[in-house]
Amino acid sequence: MTRIACFVEKYNFSNSREAEALQNFKQTAERLGHEFHFMFRGGLSEIPKYDSVFIRATTDPLYTAYVVSKTAWELGLKVVDDPVSIRVCANKIHQYSLFKKYGVPHIPTIFLSKEEFHHRQIAEIFEVFGKPVVIKAPYTSFSRYVEKVSCETSFREVAKRFFRRSDYIVVQKFMPSRFDWRVGVLNGEVLYVCKYMMPKGKWKHGVKKRGKPSFIWGRTVTLKRNNAPHRLKETALKACNIIGKGLYGVDIKEINGDYVVVEVNDNPSIYKGQEDLRDKDIYEKIIRFLSE
Amino acid sequence: MLVVSNIDLKINKPVTKPSEFLKSSFRGFVLNVNNDYRYMKTGYYVSLHAEVLGDEVVPTTENALDAYRPPILLTRTAKNGAPIMPFIVTDSVRQIMAEFAFPVAVFPVNPFSFNGFRTAENRTALYRAVKSLSMNYRYAVCVQPLQGEMMVVKCFFGECACEDNSARAVARKVYETLKIPVCKLYVQRFNGGAYLCGLQPLKMEEITPSDVDLLSKMVSRFSGKGWSD
Ligand SMILES: Nc1ncnc2c1ncn2[C@@H]1O[C@H](COP(=O)(O)OP(=O)(O)OP(=O)(O)O)[C@@H](O)[C@H]1O
Ligand SMILES: [Mg+2]
Repeated sequence: MTRIACFVEKYNFSNSREAEALQNFKQTAERLGHEFHFMFRGGLSEIPKYDSVFIRATTDPLYTAYVVSKTAWELGLKVVDDPVSIRVCANKIHQYSLFKKYGVPHIPTIFLSKEEFHHRQIAEIFEVFGKPVVIKAPYTSFSRYVEKVSCETSFREVAKRFFRRSDYIVVQKFMPSRFDWRVGVLNGEVLYVCKYMMPKGKWKHGVKKRGKPSFIWGRTVTLKRNNAPHRLKETALKACNIIGKGLYGVDIKEINGDYVVVEVNDNPSIYKGQEDLRDKDIYEKIIRFLSE
Repeated sequence: MLVVSNIDLKINKPVTKPSEFLKSSFRGFVLNVNNDYRYMKTGYYVSLHAEVLGDEVVPTTENALDAYRPPILLTRTAKNGAPIMPFIVTDSVRQIMAEFAFPVAVFPVNPFSFNGFRTAENRTALYRAVKSLSMNYRYAVCVQPLQGEMMVVKCFFGECACEDNSARAVARKVYETLKIPVCKLYVQRFNGGAYLCGLQPLKMEEITPSDVDLLSKMVSRFSGKGWSD
């Protein structure tokens, strides 16, 4: 019997599909003979009472979730997402540096420092990557700090904003596609495969409505993992391997028949009727991993 | 061994500027001496670059991140035998009041700020401190009982220019655990003991000429001794 704490924040229950998925985790754990309790921000002192921690709140080194992960890790608990995965996945500079080092196919990328941020450098970037280019703040998630620019003025405006919190930012060639492949990976094995479609006329999977705090997300199309392209799955596993043995969601673009990794996410979203649609065993696989 | 620093060290070996190092592909041991290792600041990226190259580096990105997060700092140093104050992580004033009597010390948990800490003697002050240090409840805060005087100690490789022996022992323990070359420690003194409460980056303007002397001495000692210990 394993005592599992599931670290969540209030917003994890605000979408009914996510709330249902969380209940599925709980029921699956209990059916397998384990304890499964939701743990909130105020409950960190309870961590030592558990054997493993499953983090569903958004992970970032700046958030409480990292404190939970690192505390559990220091105490010798099993933890998903582990602190190393959080560190690497939360920072695009970190992650893309590893892609470069280990030869994971990725979008052509450069890093730009505050100091090199001048006219000549910007002109050179447009020359090499063409127009537009994509600028990303290293800490972005939910597509919030990923923007497309096609002239020096908007380049400067966006970069300046992203430099407020990070001394380095990411610039990439613009490579649009109709959807992102999303490959869920657990412990070096493919867990599920979906396509995250772009909303009509958009180039990002998630788009903020003008003047509103809410996001619109494209449709999710789910495949049976066994029916997904083999090379797609290989590429996803290769990218995860350089990060760790936890739970990941890999975003991949298919461009002229090649698979190019956009990024590896730790803490991938799992919504009832979406990621679990074709492979119902994903809850059980994750619970078994937490209780190994 | 390569010394990378944004501080004008007085040592008789070359010092590489962070921006230069970040363009290099140096292989070997890197000593990253910076006043600020906060997440996503240049000092952090120096350690990250070294790690990606496969270099050994002090401090590691793991330690740089952990050191500025009070709950992790306290958990890790306590595990290594340092005296610490009890603490809770929360954003709920009610929970804090159920746990501790006033006064309390409130530290930010998000490592973005140079914020120091706030003390609260009563409920109103506590509300204000929690609201401001949590950036309007976006992040949690770390709260500890305030039982003595809070000392702020500048610390270089575990050495500090302070007279207090028990505070110096805490500084050495913290360095032994996290290897942060330059930092500011928050330590509570009472009942003849010193208890670790927090660690934050030093602002450039807080580093005096005599601090630079002490720091330079420590860097020379560190590089002379090599990195085997
Ligand atoms: N260079 C690029 N060219 C075209 N589209 C891109 C590029 N980089 C990212 N995108 C698209 O923008 C969206 C967000 O990208 P990315 O994953 O890098 O950022 P993120 O903030 O981590 O977003 P999320 O958490 O939603 O995945 C994705 O739909 C991705 O396909
Ligand atoms: Mg992403």
